[in-house]
Amino acid sequence: MAKLTPKDIDSKIAAGLDESGDWIKVGMSTCGMAAGAGEVFSTLQQEAKKRNLGVRIKKCGCQGMCYAEPLVEVHCAGLPDVVYGRVDKETAIKILEKHISAKTLVNDNIYEVRTKRQA
Amino acid sequence: METDRKIILLADTEQSQQDKLRDFYTSFFNQIKDKGLEDSVALVRASDIGIYGKGFAVKIFPRGIVYTGVKESDIGAIIDASVKGQGTVERLLFSEEPKQIRIVLRNCGVIDPESIDEYIACRGYGALKKILSGMDPAGVIEEMKKSGLRGRGGAGYPTWMKWKFTRESQGDRKYVICNADEGDPGAYMDRSVLEGDPHSVIEGLIIAGYAIGAGSGYMYIRAEYPLAVERVKKAIEQAYECGLLGKNILGTDFSFDIDIRLGAGAFVCGEETALIASIEGKRGTPRPRPPYPSVSGLWGKPTAINNVETLANVPYIILEGGDKFALIGTEKSKGTKVFALTGKVRNSGLVEVPMGITLREIVFDIGGGMLGDKPIKAVQTGGPSGGVIPVDQLDTPVDYENLQKLGSIMGSGGMIVMDESDCIVDIAKFYLGFCVEESCGKCAPCRIGGYQMLNLLNGIVEGSGSLEDLDKLRRVALAMQRASLCALGQTAANPVMSTLRYFEHEYREHIVNRKCRSHKCRSLMTYSIIQDKCKRCRVCVINCPVNAIEGDREKGFFIDVSKCVKCGKCFEVCKFQAIAKE
Repeated sequence: MAKLTPKDIDSKIAAGLDESGDWIKVGMSTCGMAAGAGEVFSTLQQEAKKRNLGVRIKKCGCQGMCYAEPLVEVHCAGLPDVVYGRVDKETAIKILEKHISAKTLVNDNIYEVRTKRQA
Repeated sequence: METDRKIILLADTEQSQQDKLRDFYTSFFNQIKDKGLEDSVALVRASDIGIYGKGFAVKIFPRGIVYTGVKESDIGAIIDASVKGQGTVERLLFSEEPKQIRIVLRNCGVIDPESIDEYIACRGYGALKKILSGMDPAGVIEEMKKSGLRGRGGAGYPTWMKWKFTRESQGDRKYVICNADEGDPGAYMDRSVLEGDPHSVIEGLIIAGYAIGAGSGYMYIRAEYPLAVERVKKAIEQAYECGLLGKNILGTDFSFDIDIRLGAGAFVCGEETALIASIEGKRGTPRPRPPYPSVSGLWGKPTAINNVETLANVPYIILEGGDKFALIGTEKSKGTKVFALTGKVRNSGLVEVPMGITLREIVFDIGGGMLGDKPIKAVQTGGPSGGVIPVDQLDTPVDYENLQKLGSIMGSGGMIVMDESDCIVDIAKFYLGFCVEESCGKCAPCRIGGYQMLNLLNGIVEGSGSLEDLDKLRRVALAMQRASLCALGQTAANPVMSTLRYFEHEYREHIVNRKCRSHKCRSLMTYSIIQDKCKRCRVCVINCPVNAIEGDREKGFFIDVSKCVKCGKCFEVCKFQAIAKE
């Protein structure tokens, strides 16, 4: 990557975080990994590819709700952002099938719903 | 595109039984159906919506209305007012300001920690750009002074003073060090910050370097955090590639390098002088201060050592201004503190709260209350250097001074919640044992004093203690506090002293009555069989490792106390709760 100038930093900050399209974030810090986030991440990647879903699967750090790891945050057009907790392989597939494809929330694993990004 | 469907979340904030929520869900669903609304509404069961102990909660999107304490009879009114119409049911309405403020954890769980682009997109390195394009080092320190930020590693020394002293010290070279040798049992705030947002710490370290006039810095990370080390390494490489580290940062005259040093996992290496010795390649033992590291630190040069969390605050302060930061918190403790909430609490995890919040709010409003709704007994803060805060002090605002008054310390941020099943003497013994094991052995008060105190505690939990031991404990503790070389020894006795202060009656029970009310101290327990409950199934007889259970199916079974080794196996295997433990 080329060296940045102060201007580059300004323009990158102005552009903001690219949160366009549908995406899924998996908490991949030690607390998440210990609870099985690695498996959830790879399941999501494989199954999304299999189903030809145009959803980005991303990594992120610990959100703080370590008791409910692995945490998966889902952003899907037309729905509020939802944080699912205690996600396993089956729930991961449910998230893809129900939340992303059918646009309905998955029961019993919701830990947080955000109408808009928290500051 | 927003769908016109309303989303209704249902949650049981008592978290008693999933079945109850399912019944509630069913009746809610039926009423929606009766009113012919099932196509315009999506009804979902949630596990947790951040509200606790308030009965059933209903949250309706997109408006985000929250109702709590909802009974089945209220469902109709809610549907009419907020699902069909645009109104609310005032008496059930719930609103609360969020208790958590995210400054240190602002990016944790938001950005990809392995992507510098995402960090920059969240205003990352904006603070570095700001200082390099028009703030002199004195201005940076002035901003830090305004913020009132104090060290988050435990002692709470004002960061700006540390920086100012290091800046004013004479030396041809100066260093900054990030202390990421987090070793308190049950504390993992620094690990999460390094794993979730490594660039914020790196940016903080660069700014610290600029402020004190250092040309290089070290990240001292314990080797037990492999993922954190990997992510920090990657982050440093990215920063070099982008010209945010190295020569002529952002095209200015300022140059700064960062290197990683791994700690081999000695607790004492979190102490600054021991940490410096360890970086220099020497044995990690502390040395007397003064001279303080700000005068003579790494390789004899002026050095500023800051904790991970302290540094993660720095970019925010520079960007937002010290005044804004100082609005949060109490008079003498500004900003927020990250705590690792663990133990017998329902929602264990990381919380970032403004200084001045009470322990009760942390445990009950954020942590969701106690596991299994057992009564809370105490909260341990500050790890092995801290103390135990009893339940009647839970409403004390949390800041550096208040915790010290209570005989504990803020510490790095471990917070362990205890209920009645935790034996206070056992807890004190655990923390003291930790410090005895981690004592480097350089000075006698810590090396010998700790060992002697541990022996006394062992005697108490084994039933051979005497009341004089309590005085002895206090005397040795005082000697350790006064005469130990470093904070490890000076504070090692804190858990014992604070438990003696608030729970002396439990110590006395162990000594005088030979009883442990929490049934934790094995030597003080006796097992017996409750004949009325015993079904004479012989499972305990088969499982007893020392054949201490005698008798037959006709006469019943008995535990021979002289043979019993108090392993608790019979208690575990009995399906009829016919084993009594006292």
